[in-house]
Amino acid sequence: MLSVNFKKTLSNLCLDIAFEIPKYSYSFILGPSGAGKSLTLKIIAGLIKSKNASIKWDGKEIGKLPPEKRQIVYLPQNLALFPHKTVYENIIYTFKSRHLSINKDLVEKVIEEFQISRFLNRYPQNLSGGEKQRVALARAIVAQPRVLLLDEPLSSLDFHLKMHLIEFLELLKKDFHITVIHVTHDPLEAIKLAEKLFILEKGKIVFQGHINELFQAEITGFGQRILEVLKRLKISLNGI
Amino acid sequence: MHLFISLTVNEFIKAIYDREVWQAIFTSFIGASLSTFFGCLTGIPFAYILSRYDFKGKKILESIANLPVVIPHVAVGIILISLLSEKSFWGHFFSYFNLSFIDTIYGIVIAMAFVSISYIITSALIGFESVDRELEMVSRTLGATAFYTFWHITFPLALPAIIRGAILAFARAISEVGALLILAYFPKTAPIIMYERFEQYGLKAAHPVTVLVVFFSLIIFFVLLYFSKRHAFR
Repeated sequence: MLSVNFKKTLSNLCLDIAFEIPKYSYSFILGPSGAGKSLTLKIIAGLIKSKNASIKWDGKEIGKLPPEKRQIVYLPQNLALFPHKTVYENIIYTFKSRHLSINKDLVEKVIEEFQISRFLNRYPQNLSGGEKQRVALARAIVAQPRVLLLDEPLSSLDFHLKMHLIEFLELLKKDFHITVIHVTHDPLEAIKLAEKLFILEKGKIVFQGHINELFQAEITGFGQRILEVLKRLKISLNGI
Repeated sequence: MHLFISLTVNEFIKAIYDREVWQAIFTSFIGASLSTFFGCLTGIPFAYILSRYDFKGKKILESIANLPVVIPHVAVGIILISLLSEKSFWGHFFSYFNLSFIDTIYGIVIAMAFVSISYIITSALIGFESVDRELEMVSRTLGATAFYTFWHITFPLALPAIIRGAILAFARAISEVGALLILAYFPKTAPIIMYERFEQYGLKAAHPVTVLVVFFSLIIFFVLLYFSKRHAFR
């Protein structure tokens, strides 16, 4: 179980976050721009400091640890592949940085499942958008994190590629035991993958629960708009 | 080009056999190398701090870093001699370590470092600022310490800019004359020899030395350029 509890005041936003996520679940944080979604992920990862932040894993406080000790991997929107390292060097970076020997079985499994063996020696700038996404996900999984934080990783992709990558994210849910928090503003991603949904608005969680519970919830503002989109999507998906 | 064509073979051979010229070139090379080395040693961490941390007085520090570029170099020599002469506090302090800056190689190095360090700081600052912070963030969450992240992510990505700054600093240092005329005329550097020959014997005497120094400087410049291109990341 991951428990998150913190308050952070910025000049234009007052974040007040408290939630719990079951182990190995796939959760979504949906919210408009400026709601504090990315900031929430960075505080959980320890990349932005927040006084009195409490981040607990199985009841054990990890909020005081530096980012490298938390076993929480952050994947930003731009994927942040290291441009001076090959795809393979990117993937094994986690072992090198922790001075560990490479877990070859895991690396090979991930390379195979994410279909990246063809371009292991290429540099990130020579990859297509979809290939980059797969490499970034593979690199994150190889680190064997407790929690994987995805910060709008699919937002720059077209519909076709997005659907293709959602298949890889489903793979991540099935084959690798990782707790995922996925931030997005696209309800389509959520309807395909979410086990738990949080709606964040102006720094506050205005809804949390299973995606089906949203249909019964009385909700206004951004949540209301999300609900309308989800209803339309559900009708379309049922139609298919 | 005119400089090279207008020189006779005899004059050139005479310059080649001129020991004083070679000593001056050697002194310039050693002085510029050491000043670039110390410039990197202090300028790179300074630039990193400026690029990554916000603190009071940061703008003032940035301005101070650029000061040597705008101060006339003779004035730099006067400032340094007033700071480091044996009667001054610092001169007195360094004399305990048998270090004197007047007419010594140490004086040459410190004068060259003073006039060239801005190039290293400015270029390193541009280099560090161009590195995406999210690369560093991801590196940390993948298990790297801040130190490991600096050496394996930030520094390699900023390196091409740092090398460009170091080349500019080296070129600026090797061509310094104004501050050296005041602080450390001896041991003579290549520009000092050229200036002295021109002042004492005129253009004809300065010409062969100039050709040799320019030729040597160009070789150094192209060698450094080659290495900087090799380090320019793909």
